[in-house]
Amino acid sequence: MTSAVATRRGSYIDRPSPSSLADVVELILDKGLVIDAYVRVSLVGIELLTIDARIVIASVDTYLRFAEATNRLDLYEKGGKDLSELTESLSEGGASGKTSGAIEGAEKKVEEFIGGSDDDSDDDGDSGDDGDSGGQRQRARSRSSSSRRRSRSSEDAE
Amino acid sequence: MTASLAAAPTAGSPEAECYVFGVVDAGTRLRAPLEVGLASGLRLVEHGAVAALVGAPPPERALGRASDLVDHDRVLADLASGGVAVVPLRFGTLLPDDATVVAELLEPRHDELRRLLDVVRDRVQFTLTARFERDTVLREVLEDNADIQRLRAAADDGMGSRLALGERVVGELMTLRDGEAAALLTEIEPVVAGQERQTSDPLDVARVSVLVELADAAAFEQRLEEAARRRAGRVTVRLVGPSAAYDFLDGG
Repeated sequence: MTSAVATRRGSYIDRPSPSSLADVVELILDKGLVIDAYVRVSLVGIELLTIDARIVIASVDTYLRFAEATNRLDLYEKGGKDLSELTESLSEGGASGKTSGAIEGAEKKVEEFIGGSDDDSDDDGDSGDDGDSGGQRQRARSRSSSSRRRSRSSEDAE
Repeated sequence: MTASLAAAPTAGSPEAECYVFGVVDAGTRLRAPLEVGLASGLRLVEHGAVAALVGAPPPERALGRASDLVDHDRVLADLASGGVAVVPLRFGTLLPDDATVVAELLEPRHDELRRLLDVVRDRVQFTLTARFERDTVLREVLEDNADIQRLRAAADDGMGSRLALGERVVGELMTLRDGEAAALLTEIEPVVAGQERQTSDPLDVARVSVLVELADAAAFEQRLEEAARRRAGRVTVRLVGPSAAYDFLDGG
């Protein structure tokens, strides 16, 4: 994340140019005037992207994640802990790595769906970059449930 | 939309000739358009004071490739940032022919479209995301809160104690976020309108789209640059745009 600060044109703003696929999806998906009968797209994969970004943040998982990060932070800072604490931090770190790996996997899958290999986002893997708001997602959710299951099982395989 | 998607053909339908990007004023001059993909043969279908911006859909496949999304966005962004008022249509809008474009879009919604064009005229959208640098802000939270230090020291293998620590840390982040977001949004004023999105990620400071006068766009970017510089190392600011005013099509 620190590298995002050092940047093109000496700017402090992280400004993708051209916009990454993830940015474009977040920007235009579900936006714009609709003529109902005439929107014809296979959006299944695209909806997955936003859905999976949203389910990253379940509160218990979030609390554990930040507890772990807080613990680890202290470890780096002071450099000394007893062995049991060290082991605990390491095992938590492992679990978290697995989770974010699965999420990245899902996103990769989505980009395959919509053919976006030429144009990968330069996300650094931090979760939540593609989160979005809105009740509109409810529709998306029910509509793409079957493909979502597919994506789940591919995560499990990883 | 649900119904049409369920019935959506998975291959390009032969009868669909018009990919509609958006709506502009009748008589708008198109500067040399990019002649690729969806934007091939970009042209106007006019009716009254408004005109649909129409391109040719790819003949033998369904829409939805990355390049389609990028084309859609780029065509609209080029126009908007070039001073052309444009009302974006939903990505993937395919109509069979020019007559249907008029009958289904331009004619029945003529007045609404004119009103929307006035909302977006000479304005562009920027979308910005500000996020805390995790370790910087966690260190802050730890240093400033004795109770969190105690919770951290007491946290053991038990799920309960870790949850208590995490919940308290996240709560503190939420508090920091509120102050930080308010300050940031004040610093980038004036904007015509802003729309903040809900986010449940504790590291998110703000996810917001803003509508900015085209004439003020450079100054806006400068204000944001300053705001980002002041927060360097603590908050990361990400900016997408200028783009068409996707998020400002209702109300107005």
